[in-house]
Amino acid sequence: MEKKLSRVANTFTPSPIQELSHLAQRCNAINLAEGFPDFPAAPAIKSAAVSAINSDFNQYRHVQGICELLARNAKEMYGLEVDPDTDIAICCGQTEAFAAAMFAIIDPGDEVVLFDPCYETYEGCIRLAGGIPVYVALEPPHWTLDAEKFMSSFTGRTKAVILNRFIHCVVFFWNNPTGKVFTWNELEIIAEACRSRDCLAVTDEVYEHITYDNVKHVTLSLLPGMQQRTIITSSVSKTFGVTGWRIGWAIANPIVASAIRNIHVKLTDSAPAPFQEAALTALSSGPDYFESLRRDYESKRDYSIQLLTGIGFQIRFKPQGSFFLFAELPESSPLSDVGASLALTDPKTKVAFLTLIIPCLLVLMVQVEYVKHLIEQAGVVAVPGRGFFHFNSVSSESEESLSACHDYQKRYIRFAFCKSSATLEAAAQGLSELVDTKGCLNLPPPCKTDT
Amino acid sequence: MLESQCTWTHSPPPTMSRPLSFLLNNPSSPFPRTFPLRQLFINSTRSLTPAAAPIFRRPSLMAALSTVSVPHPDKDATAAVTPNSSQTQHPLQVAKRLEKFKTTIFTQMSMLAIKHGAINLGQGFPNFDGPDFVKEAAIQAIKDGKNQYARGFGVPDCNAAIAERFKKDTGLVVDPDKEITVTSGCTEAIAATMLGLINPGDEVIVFAPFYDSYEATLSMAGAQVKSITLRPPDFAVPLDEFKSAISKNTRAVLINTPHNPTGKMFTREELDTIASLCIENDVLVFSDEVYDKLAFEADHISMASLPGMYERTVTLNSLGKTFSLTGWKIGWAIAPPHLTWGVRQAHSYLTFATSTPMQSAAAVALRAPDSYYE
Repeated sequence: MEKKLSRVANTFTPSPIQELSHLAQRCNAINLAEGFPDFPAAPAIKSAAVSAINSDFNQYRHVQGICELLARNAKEMYGLEVDPDTDIAICCGQTEAFAAAMFAIIDPGDEVVLFDPCYETYEGCIRLAGGIPVYVALEPPHWTLDAEKFMSSFTGRTKAVILNRFIHCVVFFWNNPTGKVFTWNELEIIAEACRSRDCLAVTDEVYEHITYDNVKHVTLSLLPGMQQRTIITSSVSKTFGVTGWRIGWAIANPIVASAIRNIHVKLTDSAPAPFQEAALTALSSGPDYFESLRRDYESKRDYSIQLLTGIGFQIRFKPQGSFFLFAELPESSPLSDVGASLALTDPKTKVAFLTLIIPCLLVLMVQVEYVKHLIEQAGVVAVPGRGFFHFNSVSSESEESLSACHDYQKRYIRFAFCKSSATLEAAAQGLSELVDTKGCLNLPPPCKTDT
Repeated sequence: MLESQCTWTHSPPPTMSRPLSFLLNNPSSPFPRTFPLRQLFINSTRSLTPAAAPIFRRPSLMAALSTVSVPHPDKDATAAVTPNSSQTQHPLQVAKRLEKFKTTIFTQMSMLAIKHGAINLGQGFPNFDGPDFVKEAAIQAIKDGKNQYARGFGVPDCNAAIAERFKKDTGLVVDPDKEITVTSGCTEAIAATMLGLINPGDEVIVFAPFYDSYEATLSMAGAQVKSITLRPPDFAVPLDEFKSAISKNTRAVLINTPHNPTGKMFTREELDTIASLCIENDVLVFSDEVYDKLAFEADHISMASLPGMYERTVTLNSLGKTFSLTGWKIGWAIAPPHLTWGVRQAHSYLTFATSTPMQSAAAVALRAPDSYYE
């Protein structure tokens, strides 16, 4: 019966992040893997939801007030003019907003450029709509955008895939897993590419209110010529600590917003009604709320950096936003030996494909082994970084780009710090168990990959 | 008073392009469960139709009869946009397969409803609310902090309760963790089933008239749709026509029983015939049974319970209709593991997870004593 699955479904595998979460639960480990807080949401917001249920706001619903508030906030916070009547679609979380956006603009075979590393879900949505993801690697350790590499991915891909017509679309995500916030110059490079190639851009701004060190979140729509070709997606989940409520939105020009709305109606009909009501309260929060949110997460970030660097992890890039730390394994980690032994030897043959896939899978396994060790020995769970890196399914011309399993991709582990102080302290305690007498992180040698 | 409960602000007037829904809430006259008007909800559509202005000036009956989207002449999705005058005008593009899905008939009917102050019998939600014990359960879940991501395919207790209910209703024992996927409403269960199990070019048979999301999601999946019209006055299945339509090239048959919008229930004979032909041709069945608890004269028969059918059937259902909580968006798909896999994959990219507190409440609701259902 496996043949009954669609081709697309067959290419998908279970989420490694969720699987590790389940393992963490079974071992009663401290979950620093999934990006949701373990402290309660603001009481006012919860009360609003309770009140909505009691007031019988329990049937199919579209709460236009959400659009009014989003438009107001866009204007006050970003200087963006948004028409609440035409430019906004309320969806079941940013996930659905993004999925609906993909169905709205992607035809089978259309290419979508993404930056690597990135969150696992985008590729799935793109493929579900029949699109082809094209990855452009950001340069470690600061995850900078290489303009030339970026522009050349447009050119090369156009030739490889185009039939009669194509839509090029650039997907932007803020911050997951690296915590990077794109600089104005980088945004300008991206904007110029979109304008000159008549492309659309889709942004994921769920962490828009979680930025640090006075770095301001800049929305791509503000750049010249970009508002009409940018789809902003976001949600209440991260800002208000209610990831389980599934209230998100897409903001775009009227035609695209209308298409997204129509598709959303066919995918889910509407977002949960009482939580739409509660979102009114959430989105009416004053500047104090956002200030204290930032301050709070910033201190958690700093604590976590200190904790991890104290036991030997390398954090060369301090996150500027979101609540993830993308930490490198210590230099002394035996993982680097594994990396050397997996170097490709003959990229031009078909074997190259296997030597590409297998080492990457092995590396993923090895990283998973390390994370399993973290769970079992330290009682802490995180996410192997390898799952956030991708390689292109369309073959590249150069040898260098074929060896997409770069060494650095094997060295990262993502920690979430959106947890209470008690949790972070407990994690510190657990991790200290792994430190040897010299104060260095003691990780086991890889046991399953003797290559 | 009632107008203040309406979620729509009347100025500026809403445009036709929005598929909006309004709440028609008239707490001063809750409809008892036995009120005959209930039958009309079965015959109305499930789609979003903005409710009439909540005043009973002109009680005209309005049911949305068509499930086919009507193209709106002013909203051609591929027309050039006319944004701010300072911007250069480029024709913006929308995916081809969805060009024809513009403003639905429901949106247009809703505008007429508001304009004429009509009672809304077009949209498939009740204007009486859900039972208190279920609402209390959701409230308690929110207070208990169950507000973060649920397990993607469902909160364990919710899956367990769905399995228990399914066993009571059909006699079938299913594994809650391997054979049940919780989704944002039955609508998402339908979308996830189509996108997870249908390849572009696959042939799918549907019975017309049908709920409007079927066509849209089949289109998104790139299916070849074969539509067979149910025959009035009883809306019987034309079995001969079905026999000649189905073949080894057919991937799936989509049935909806009890049926929206006709209220028809597929008879045992019809289901047996469909089943045997599906087995013979190795065809899947997607069975939308969202109204199964709102059966009045005949007993509802679940396709999955027929001999040889469970292994090839995806059964779709939800909390909303049975418990008058349509806005909570708790639905599910029940299928054998090899089919559940595809549904779950699509689901994880459509919405990732379903609203957590409502799932806790759903578990309570589904364990309601049988007396609730009578």
